[in-house]
This record gives sequence, C-alpha cells and structure tokens, in this order.
Amino acid sequence: MASKINGCRPEEHGLSRRGFLTATAAGVTASFAADMGAIHGLRSAAMASELKKQNKRVILLWLAGGASQFETWDPKPGAKTGGPFRAIPTNVTGIHISELLPELAQRMQHTAIIRSLNTKIADHGTGADLMECGRVADPGVKYPDIGAVVARELGRLESKVPDYVSLYTSTEGRRKGTSGFLGARYAPMFLSESMTPPNIVRPDIISEIDHQDRAALRDVLAKRFTASRRNQAVDSHASAYQRVHGLMASADLFDIEREPESVRNRYGSSQFAQQCLIARRLVEADVPFVKVARAWWDSHGQNFETHQELCADLDHSMSVLLDDLAERGLLEHTLVITLGEFGRTPNINASLGRDHFASAWSCSLSGAGIRGGVAYGKTDDEGHRVVEGEASAGDLFATILAALGIDHQHEYMLGSRPIPLADFGTNPIREVLA
Amino acid sequence: MMPIDEPATESAATAPSMPQTLKVEKTVGLSAIGFCVTQGDAATTLFAGMSDFAIHRIDLAAEKIEAVPISQERHNSYVMGLVRAGDKLISGGYDGALIWWNMASGEVVRRVESAHSKWVRMLAVSPDASRVASVADDMTTRLWDAASGDLVATWGDYETKTPHGFPSMLYAVTISPDGRWVATGDKTGIVLVRDLATGEIAARLETPVMYTWDPKARRHSIGGIRSLAFSNDSAMLAVGGMGKVGNIDHLEGSSRVEVFRWQDNVRLYEIEDNKLKGLVEALQFGPGDAWLAAAGGDNSGFVTIYRMDDGKLAAQEKVGNHVHDFVFGDAPDTLYVVGHNQAAIVKLG
Repeated sequence: MASKINGCRPEEHGLSRRGFLTATAAGVTASFAADMGAIHGLRSAAMASELKKQNKRVILLWLAGGASQFETWDPKPGAKTGGPFRAIPTNVTGIHISELLPELAQRMQHTAIIRSLNTKIADHGTGADLMECGRVADPGVKYPDIGAVVARELGRLESKVPDYVSLYTSTEGRRKGTSGFLGARYAPMFLSESMTPPNIVRPDIISEIDHQDRAALRDVLAKRFTASRRNQAVDSHASAYQRVHGLMASADLFDIEREPESVRNRYGSSQFAQQCLIARRLVEADVPFVKVARAWWDSHGQNFETHQELCADLDHSMSVLLDDLAERGLLEHTLVITLGEFGRTPNINASLGRDHFASAWSCSLSGAGIRGGVAYGKTDDEGHRVVEGEASAGDLFATILAALGIDHQHEYMLGSRPIPLADFGTNPIREVLA
Repeated sequence: MMPIDEPATESAATAPSMPQTLKVEKTVGLSAIGFCVTQGDAATTLFAGMSDFAIHRIDLAAEKIEAVPISQERHNSYVMGLVRAGDKLISGGYDGALIWWNMASGEVVRRVESAHSKWVRMLAVSPDASRVASVADDMTTRLWDAASGDLVATWGDYETKTPHGFPSMLYAVTISPDGRWVATGDKTGIVLVRDLATGEIAARLETPVMYTWDPKARRHSIGGIRSLAFSNDSAMLAVGGMGKVGNIDHLEGSSRVEVFRWQDNVRLYEIEDNKLKGLVEALQFGPGDAWLAAAGGDNSGFVTIYRMDDGKLAAQEKVGNHVHDFVFGDAPDTLYVVGHNQAAIVKLG
C-alpha cells in the first residue's frame, strides 16, 4: 500500500525486491528490505544525521489493559473514589504518588508525571491504537506507531541491530505493533513466545565456516551485479542482507545469562524485570526503540489486589532499569515511558474493581529530554475530570518526539499528501521537557 | 470476617434447626462500602467498618435506618476488621492501625498507629473478650490484650511472597468458640491453626483451589482464603474463598467452601456453587453445627445455607450487591449483612 501512495521512482521497479527477497532470504530479511526509502521526509540529510548522532533511545513500558492512575501516579487518598492506598511523598518536594510505588518514589528526579490525559477512547483495541499512534485511526491511512516512527527517525541504515523490538509474552491484549505506511522496514521484531527471537540462530546443519563462505560468495556476486546496476532497490537488498547477518550476530543481546549474576539478581526473577534487562541490553547496543509490554492490568474485579501485585512488579523493575541506565550513562540518552491504552474509573464497582476510563488519567516519562521531578496537569478532587493542563494522545505523541529531538511537525509525504509525525493541532507539553 | 462476639450457643434455642428459606427483609443504602460488622448492646444496634475510613452505628429500630459515624475520628484508610470486646469496639484498617473505641460514646480510647507494617485485613476476638487477633499483609498474626492494648505475641510462618514472586496477603482470622485456637488463611490457600496460648502450630491445612495464578494470559493472580469459621464445638473449621477462575479480570469463579475436621486434617466437604459466584467473604456455623451460613458474591451478593450432614445447599438468596460480612442477630434466625454500599436484614425460615 505504501508503495502505491509514495510514487516510487521507475528504476526501483527494475528489480522485484519482494520476490527476490522472499525467494532468497528468511522472512525477517523481507521485513527489513521492503519499502526501504519509500517514504520521503521533508528534512535535510544534515538534520537527520545530527539527530541520529545524538543517539537517543526509547524504552516503552506498555501497561497493557490499563493501569489505575489512582494506584500509581495520581492518588486521591481520602476521596470517595480514592481507594484504600495512601499517597507517599517522593524525593521531589511536593510530589506524592501511590504507596504501591515506593521505589519509584525515590527516583522522581528522573521522571515527569502527566496527570491530565484526556484521550476519550475507553476501549482496549481502539484505545491502544490511539495511544500507540497518537491519533485516531483513519480508514484511508495506516499510521505507524511510535516505535516505527522512532525507528524511522533514529535508526541507522547501516545498523546491524533491529530498529524496533517489541516484547509481549502474555496473550491477553497482545499487539504486535505496526509500522503502517512506513512499511515493513520499520516493523517491530516481535517476541511473543519467548524472550529470544526465533529463526535468527544459525542452523546446526550449516557450519560457521559455511555461513561465512556463503556470505562472502554473496558479496562477490552482489558487487558484480551492482557494478552496472546501482540503484536504491539494489542497495536496499544488500542492506537487508547485512542486517540479517547483524541480527544473527545480535542474538546474544537477548540472552540475559550473559549478564553478571549480580546484575541478574538485581533485576530479579519476574518476567517483566528480565525483559527490562533485555531492553537495557538492546538500547545499550543502539536499538532505538524497545517496547516491553506488561499485561494485564484490566482490573474490573479486585482492582486493589491486582495493583498490589502488578505495581510491585512495575515499581521494582522500572526502578532497577532507571538505576541501571543512569549508572551506565544511558539514561540521558534513553527515554523511558510508562503508558497503557487508558486509565481506570474513579468509581469503585461492587467487585472492588475499576473499569475502563480515558477522561482523566496518567502516564510517566523519564530520562532523555525530560525535566525530571515534575508533575504536570491536574484532575479534580475525585479524579473524574482534568481541571488543568489537559493533554490528548497527540500531545503526548508530540511530547515524546520533542523529548527525542524530533520535530513533531515534520511531515511524511504519502504521495502528495503531507502527514505530520504528530497529528495536526497537537503540541508538546513544554513543561515536562528539559 | 467472622469476629465471634458472643458464643453462638447462647441463642441456639430460637434458631431454626435447618433453615429452608432465606428472605431479604430489608435493604438499606449506605454511602460507602461496608467491610465488617458487629453487634452492639442492643439487639438492633450494629456497628460497621467502612470505606470512608469510619466506624458507623446502624440503628435498625430507627424509623429511618441509616449509618452514622460514631466519631469525627477515623482511620486513615478502609476499615477492614471490627470486633467488640466488652464495652469497646476495636477496629483495624489498611492504614496498619488498630483503634479502640468507646462503644457508647464513640470516643477513641487507644490508637496503635503501627500495629502492622502493612494493610490490616481482619480481626477476631476471643470468646471471653480478653484477646484480639489481627492479620495483615505483613504476613504476621498479632495477638493483643483487648483491655490494655499491649502486644502479646507476633507470629509469622507465612511466605511473604506467592510462589510466583508477588506480595502475598493474609486475609482471614478467627478464634475458636472454646478460646483455644486461632486460625488464619492467606492468599495462596494455606491455613494455620495455632494454640492461642502458646502460638504453637497445631494444624496446617491447604486449600490450593482458592488461589488462581494465570501464567499465560494475564500473569497475575486472584483469590485467596477470605473467610474462616470454627464450628461451635471447635472441631470443624470452614474455609471460604473462590474456585479456579478463567478470566481473572472478574470475580467469575465458583463460590467455594471447604470444611475440615481440622485436628485430623480431614477435608469433610468441598462445596462449589456455580449459580451464585464469587468470593465467600464470611462464614458462621449455625446452632448445633447443623448448618453453615456463607455470604459473599461477585458484583452481586448472596447468602447461602449449607447443611453440615452432607455439605449440600439448604437455602440461598441473592442480596443486592457484593456482601463483605454478616453477623447473626440475637437469635440466629436473622442475619445482618453489610456490603457494597448497602446493609440488609435477611431472615432465615
């Protein structure tokens, strides 16, 4: 679809990239080669190069199912809607968060809380579409999600590691992510069944020597082929091969056994914590965007018990992740986002649950480009409405891009149609930006 | 949620030998969630611990029945446990505090702010009203002198984490009518019965069905032991919770009761009800241990009577919203229940 819209140049059709790749390489090869260079951005090469030099990275902690703002970032102790948990002071004067996040409360210097999201859509699927893409779905356009946009803007063509990795191992609400009109080149490497990617390990029947010899032979043939036929499609194909070799070499990045025992112990044994450790390894190796989904927060019954468990997991895992990134000098380059598809109702139902709610809820941004120690926006005393600093999904999208140094008004051209990275009329929340 | 405030045998003469029917006689709306209830001096006076952090008096004889806070003073969180010891009420809350109240005046007599380091889930009082036991998510059981408020004993012996690495919860406690035993139940389905005088563990029972861990779809858990009751002869122990749950986003499991002859570790009955589902939040044996009353629910509430000669259902009734606790009236032909924004009077026939 993207190729139709983007008006590829005639010479790009001289070689059937899709057919060739499908026939000669694994599916993952195709995913990186297809549509490469098909979307044209209105930005100078110098600007893009400068952006990439800044080496910004993103880890999205996706709280799938919708975490409660009351039991995380916007507690209302004593309110009828507040639930049983207390608000505790953080290490930033004046900011209180739920007592279920005691470790994160001591790391608020890294974090900006946004308490004033009003995203309106309280349905899992469309809510997730909205929060991941920063705009309401349009039947005529397949928008890329934030991971694909970041991969496109911050990834390097010559990189040997994936640009976008998505880990979602629980089955409820599982979403792969989408690169939309940016094409398969920016689609996520999706890990759902295990914490290591399938099909990137060299088969035992091929020796390492054979593997290297095959690569060398392919290089010789490719150079001869391209000597007289140099164009974008052929370059793209060559690049895809390089990336597959890079990916095969990067399998170790997913192996936390390669971390010292002390580091593994620090993260602990929960799956989410271990995936956070993988995320740290990936961004350390220059993967621009890593999504770690922690499902499932959809606490229609027993909201408080559910949050006692899941917040404990989030609190520990995210705290260790922030510490680890900071100690390695990575946090100033890495934006850590906690976000789900919506929050939860102020009303506590008869099962002591909270239901879906998108009118006044919270998320957090930590690290790169963020002014830590800020609580932005305000909800009313019982958390029913935003009363200060209302922010939309698009505003959040623009804020994330701004924190990464990406112009949110930059436009992709789908043929002659300009598509700004963040939706029309949205603005970054300057108060949370460094 | 079964503080045994008075020996149940005292009023056995007026109780139905085997209830055949249950009927909701009256429902009263509450401004908050009622988590626990106990009876006052008068047969028609109840006290309830609620989600507005207060203790409320409910005068059932009043023309307009309403719940009125007994004091301006409150806990700093939900009140989850409430018992009566003589002329005092003792409450425990998610704030970790225990508060002693003058039942008549509502005046706070004593406040132990850090009775537990985590959320207090339930209280029980000994039949002679000399001891109060509290359980909390710090996974300790604490025994208190009901008169002085002194801490008498602290007992651990529970895992602080579930087998899947998450914080565990210690939900339920009860003391036997003979005053010798205290039983506690946790999230993972472990019951410990201790000698109240020494703290020595006399029995360890397991009810693993009451704990559901979802390893694949949602990766967290639901359930736990929510209620305990000794029989009047102290020989049986009933354990309440919920059966295995498919979708743990909701309280959709069968309501579940297991009855043990606990000193022999013999499970007499495993009772699951698929008709009215959810957590069994409160249990109490009827006179002569011929029957067992259970209450709880999902979004909706229920009260159920089970026969103890065969473990079968004898009577059942829906009771509006989810029920958190009940207490017998002076005669156990009446149940006073509290729950989600409501109280109700249920008659046994």
